[in-house]
This record gives sequence, structure tokens and C-alpha cells, in this order.
Amino acid sequence: MHLFLDVPLPAHSPDMGGLMGYRIAIGTIFTFHILLAGAVSGASQLGPFLEWLGWMRRRQSYERVARGLGRFLVYYFAFGSAAAILAISALLVGLWGHAWAEINRILWWPFYIEAWSFVMMVIGVYVWHYTWDALRRWKVLHMCIGGLLVIFSIVQVAMIDIVASYMLTPTPPKQPIGVWLNPTWYPLQIHTIIANLAYIAYLIGAFSAIRFLRAKTDEERSLYDWAGSLGIIWGTALTLLQPVVGYSYAKEIQLQAYGAWYKMMEGNLSLEFLAQITLLGLMLFAAALYFWMRLRRARARGRSLLGMLSVLLLLTTIFAALPYQFAFTLDQVQAAGLNRPFWEGGLINPFAAMIPYKILALTAYTVFGIAIIYIYLRGFRDVRWGQAGRGEQRALIFLGVAVMAMISLMGFIRENARFPDVIAGHVQEFHQKDVNQPNVQPAGSAGDSTRSATPAISIDPVRPSPSPGQETRPSRSP
Amino acid sequence: MLKAYLPDRRRIQRQVLDWIEERTGLVELLYKGLYEAVPKRGAWAYALGSATLVLILNQLITGIVLTTIYVPSTTEAWASLEYIKKHDEFAQIVRGMHLYGAYVLLFVIGMHMFRTFISGSYKRPRELNWVTGVLLLLLVLGMAITGAFLPWDTAAYWTAVVTTNIPSYTPVIGHAIRAIWRGGNFVGPMTLVRTYGLHIWVIPSMLFALIGAHLYLLRRHGEFGSHVNYRGSYRNPPDVVEDVAERPQRVEPPAVHRELEPPYPALPTDDLWAAPLEVEDFYPSQTFKDGLVSLVLMAVVFGLAISYGAPLEQLATPGTVTYTPVPEWFYLPLDQLLVLTPSYLISMVLWVPLAGVLLLLGLPFFDRDAERNPLERPAIVVPAMLILVFLLALTALGSGRLFNL
Repeated sequence: MHLFLDVPLPAHSPDMGGLMGYRIAIGTIFTFHILLAGAVSGASQLGPFLEWLGWMRRRQSYERVARGLGRFLVYYFAFGSAAAILAISALLVGLWGHAWAEINRILWWPFYIEAWSFVMMVIGVYVWHYTWDALRRWKVLHMCIGGLLVIFSIVQVAMIDIVASYMLTPTPPKQPIGVWLNPTWYPLQIHTIIANLAYIAYLIGAFSAIRFLRAKTDEERSLYDWAGSLGIIWGTALTLLQPVVGYSYAKEIQLQAYGAWYKMMEGNLSLEFLAQITLLGLMLFAAALYFWMRLRRARARGRSLLGMLSVLLLLTTIFAALPYQFAFTLDQVQAAGLNRPFWEGGLINPFAAMIPYKILALTAYTVFGIAIIYIYLRGFRDVRWGQAGRGEQRALIFLGVAVMAMISLMGFIRENARFPDVIAGHVQEFHQKDVNQPNVQPAGSAGDSTRSATPAISIDPVRPSPSPGQETRPSRSP
Repeated sequence: MLKAYLPDRRRIQRQVLDWIEERTGLVELLYKGLYEAVPKRGAWAYALGSATLVLILNQLITGIVLTTIYVPSTTEAWASLEYIKKHDEFAQIVRGMHLYGAYVLLFVIGMHMFRTFISGSYKRPRELNWVTGVLLLLLVLGMAITGAFLPWDTAAYWTAVVTTNIPSYTPVIGHAIRAIWRGGNFVGPMTLVRTYGLHIWVIPSMLFALIGAHLYLLRRHGEFGSHVNYRGSYRNPPDVVEDVAERPQRVEPPAVHRELEPPYPALPTDDLWAAPLEVEDFYPSQTFKDGLVSLVLMAVVFGLAISYGAPLEQLATPGTVTYTPVPEWFYLPLDQLLVLTPSYLISMVLWVPLAGVLLLLGLPFFDRDAERNPLERPAIVVPAMLILVFLLALTALGSGRLFNL
């Protein structure tokens, strides 16, 4: 575990200049990587499950979707792996060498296990896909291979989440269990697994919509119509878990890395957070519209109720999207201190100041979301697959795009929350400097491991930095 | 030679039994109980109900033993348990079995409810079986939370403070309920005595009455089992896609109605009342499975009691400011919601369990579809799984506090 901990490192990497260029290059490649890796992880978990479901229900449609996911995995795994290797070798090693070396020596074993689980995943994917016909008579065995693929995929996500969470909430690096079970790993892990599954489900929906629009036979139309419905049900159902899980994650960040939380909730990332909650509302609204259109076309039970819930979800989205301040005239703009460009804080939207309203909005999202799924599933027995219209397919495609935007946005928020640090309180992004003296025990003791990052972070040009007195723990008892 | 003059033992036995039977009807009751028909397939899953009963009996017996040592007063409660911990190994094992028995009981009840839900066993005519089961769950949770007050160590004290405060968020009567439960404005000796009364008298009396009702209803309608015991799916599948060709098609036999075979008094034309395709006698087949599952669970309880024993923290210190109360694992979802919610919205969170209870109680009345196959009733199963995953996620998120992570 401590193999490289005592190896001396240079104080910082060579100054290559162009921080903005680095950030754009790394941000772009990693956003691409996250989008691809999330889909691959989700597909390798959802695919075997759908195969099992098809076997249990004796429906070939599930089998076909699962097999399609297997094909997707085979095609894109190599592509995604190449992107990851490029990102690591060219960008991380080349541009952020110091941070990369530090992360590696602290998190050697998670990286090691992650690499092996990745190898096992590759093997699992290829075996799972290419033995589909060969093991037709031994279906249970084939599903067991799929089960192994799920396990390797979850292990891989768990290991990479250790790295991601450690960079935001580091713990003393010489305590292996503390490093692994750092405070935000647990919620991030749950958040990521659900997100990957929801993501691939929405992608199935969007892909099916495109194929439906291009379909030439009734059989194709029927299959892709059904698959689109399957994708949106899974995607929406899993997305409904995310407000609570994500909020738990944010709460842990508040407790363990207040500076990052402050920046997200009240600082210059709060606008992105507002965009996120708005996007979530729009996604649920689009899902409700899809369900409504589907039931209306089939004249199925519950369509009026779904129409009403669609309107309610739209109103909730508007409520959730309300910014903290409105400034309709120049005087109001000046009085609010907003007469600056947004990158200087001109559009500051202190999200945290509206937490009660945002929680109410998230609660309404969840309740209405469960209701639309229930009503749709209750009524969809009357739906005839293959008879969907273009409106439904547009909703599915919108959801596919929106979920990608959501994942990119979330990645952007998380990675920028600790700016200018790469490892919070340890290594800075700019010139790859150590926050403290170089080669001093990284991140120090438990007490200074996370909070020490706070003074180094430029939080907000308008609002003062949070003082220790502002760091309040939430009330535990009713 | 002499043998001919001695009374026949079997004859005497029969005479005794006849005498008892004539006056009590116990033999007939026992016969009916043991030789009742139960569905054949999936019988291991049906053992969870009897395991629940065995675990409740474990709670009863170990609880009675503990009452012979435990003193329900704020000055003596902790000391009596400290005495057990240090000087009475047998009572310490009994206390451990009481504690871990409660944990395992809650887990098994959860599994039993899950099985009942998945198999659709709560549907007509078994709605009241489900309702009594839900009420039993609530009572067991009540037993668990009131039992947590009794050691009167620091954890118990703060559990009492938090728990007795929860009813105060009820509109209008909330503060009165809290005052009655606490015996004043603050947690103190009256709180302990009243909670003790609830734990050993009030809740158990309701619990055993409801267990009786639950068992009566079970025997009246018989064990439903699961849809695999009946004639296929009640509906044609909604998908238009074809079946998996490789899998041999199951030949669906016609519905079987056994009007005269108790406990399935089938109405000849109603699928809902149909008897299972294959049945077997409760004794010895099902009793063996029930006994084995119960035995394994009791072994687990005993093993936990021996290995870990029941913990006892320091004597309650109301003035402490450093202690962080951590709830029992089965209250973690609610606790996590409370942690996440700002204080001014907490009253809203406390309506969530109430809504959950109403949803559980109302389930058989709004899900009246005849379909029992869980894979063919997504309208109920998918939202329910969503809620279950939601609860598990909250438990997982909150569980870090149990281990001080």
C-alpha cells in the first residue's frame, strides 16, 4: 500500500503554461470519457439483467435488447479504452504529472484493482457476447457469465469512485481503510451506479426512437417501440432515486469539504446547480409527456391523470428553476451587484439560500415521478406496440440528449468544486504545486485533511469566504 | 400368560384421548392443523411465517427471563444490566438472544412481507391477512423502539429523547402525546416506567391478539403460495414479441377447483379461489421445512448472542454534549431522511412513515388485479421496487454512522 509513499518527488511539474488550455483539453477528453465509460458500465450491468428478465418472462424482446447491449459493449469497449489510455498517458501524465504521481502513490491499490477488474470486464464482455449462440442450450451458464460481468463492472466503478471521492475529500494517506472509505466514497458509489444504469436506459430509449423512425417493417417498429418504452421506464424510475442519493452526497461534501460545498451551493458553481435541477425537471416532464402521449394514443386508462401530472411537473420545474434574484431593470441589476459578466459573478445564484424550496421541488419531482410511472404501467396493457407517433420518439431522443448533458454537467460541477486544487488541500492545479510544502506528509492529519483546503479556494468574488463559524452541522434530532 | 390380564396400553391411551377429545376437541384441532393441505412448490419460502412466530416466542421467553432481573427505574435499570454483563453469564446470553432475536425477527418479517408482496398473496380473499401482518410489523417495531429505552445507558437515553420528541410534530395533540409519554416535559423516571409498561404489557397484548387473528385468517383461506402453484398467468402477456424459442413451452393445465378440500373452499367458477395444482400435507413435509428454517435462525440468534453479547454503554448522562446518537439499523432510512432535511422541514419528513403505513395498509384494496405473477404486474412491482431501493439506499447512506465512518 505504501510502496511509493516515501519516494521524493519534484516540487512541481515543469511549467508548461496555458492553464486554460490544459483545463479545456483535460475537461473535454474526460467528459467524453465519462460519457462513454458511464454507458459501458451501465450496459454491462443492465445487459445481463435484461437477459435474465427475458429468460424469466420468456420474451425474446428482452433478449434482443440485452444482445444489442452486448454488441454495443464489444464495439465501444475498445474505443472507450483507447480514450481512457489517451487521457491517462497524454493528458494526465503529460500535463498533470505531479498530481497524477501523487494520486498513484496514495491510491495505488484501488488503481491496481481497478485495472484488473477492467481486464476481467473486457474478458467478460467478449465471452458474454460471443458465447451467446454457443451456450444457447446452457442458458443458465451464459447468464452466470453475465453475472460475473456485473460484478466486475461494479468493482471497477467502486475503485474509480475511491479515486474520484478521495480527490475531493482526502483522508490521511497512511490509513488504507480511511483512504478507501473516505467520507464521500459511499454516497458517490451509490449515486454513480444508479446514474450509469439510468443513463444507459435513456440511451436505449433514444437509440430505439431513432431506429423506430427508420424502421421499415411492423416487426421492427413493434420491437423498437417496446424497447423505447422499456428504456424510459427504467431511466425515469432510477432517476427518481437520484435526488435523495445526490442530496446525501452533497450533504457529506458539506460536512467534509465545506469549501467545495460552498462553491457549489453559493459560489460560482451554483448557477450550474440551478441548471441541473432545471434539467432534471425537464427530463421528468419529457417522460411524463411521453407516457401521456403513449396512453392517449392507445386510449388507455389514466391518460387524463397523466396529462394533469405533466402540467404539474412543468410547473414544478419552473418553481425549481427560479433563481434567487430577479433584476428586471438596470437599477435593480446595480442594486443587486450583478452588473458584471457572469464569469465575474454577475449571475450569482446562491442556491443554498433556497434549499427549502429546492427540497420541496425535489420532493414533488419524486412524488409526481412515482405517480407517472405507476399510472403508465397500470395503463400500458392497452398499448399496442408499433403504433407510437413521432412525438413520443422526440421525447425519447430529447431524454437521451438531456441525460448526456446532465452527466457532463455533474462531472463539470464535481471536478470544478475543488478548483484550484486537483487533490483537495494537497496539490494545486496551477503549476501542479503542493498546497502545503512539497513532500510534507500529504493532507496531514484527519483534522486538516479536508478543511485545510478551504482557505486556498477562491470561492466567490462577491461573497466573503466562509469562516469556520459558518460551518454548521445539520440538526440530527427532530 | 400374565400379559392377558394386564390392561392394553394402547386401549388406555385411546380411552384417555377420547375422554379429552369429547370434552375439548383438541385432537380434532390438532389433526386439522397437521393434515392441512399446503401448496407444494416454493414451500421453503412459506417457512418464513412460522419462523417469525418462533422468533416472537423467543422474544417472549427471553423477555420473561429478563424481567426476573431487570429493574425498571432510572437508578437501577443500568445497574441491573451491568450486573448481568459482569456476573451472570446465562442472563447475558439470554439478553443477547433477546436483542439479536429482535434484529433477526425484523429481518425475517421484512423477508416474509416481501415474499407475500412478490407472490401477490395479499389479494382477494386474503386482504385482511395482509392488513393484520402490517399491523404486526408496526407492533414489532414498537416493541423494538420501546425496548431500546430500557437499558438506560447513554444510547437508550438519547433514543428516548429523540423518539419521544417525534410525536410532538403531530398537529394539535403532538405536545400532549409527548408530555404523556415522557411523564412531563423532560425524559426521566416516568418515561422509563411508562415505556416499560408499553414494552411488556400493552404492545405484547395487542401483538398476541393480532397473531391469533393472523393465524386464524391463514387457516381460513389457506396458504396461497405463489402463482407457480396455479394455472399459468391470468392474463395474456402484453408484449407482441414472441417467446424464447429455445425454452420449452410449459403446458398450461386447466384450472383445478377442489371444492371439498379444505382449506381451499373453491368457488367453482372463480380463479381467485382456485386450489393449487399440487398440494401436500402440512405435516410432515411443511413442518420439516418450517422447523429447519426456524432452527437455523435460532442458531444464528444464539451464535450472535454468544459471540457478541448485548452491548451496554455508559450510564445515561443527560448533560453530555459530545455524544452522537445513532439509531438502530432498521430506523436508518428515517434517520437519514432527518439528517438530510433542514430543521424547518422535519415535520414534513415525519409524514413519510405515516404515508408509507397507509400505502402498505391500502395495498390490497387498490391493487385488485387478479394477476399474481410479479413479472406480469409491473404497475405495482416497479414502484414498490423503487421504494424498496430508495429505503435500501437510505440505509446504506446512513449506515456509515453505525461504524463511525
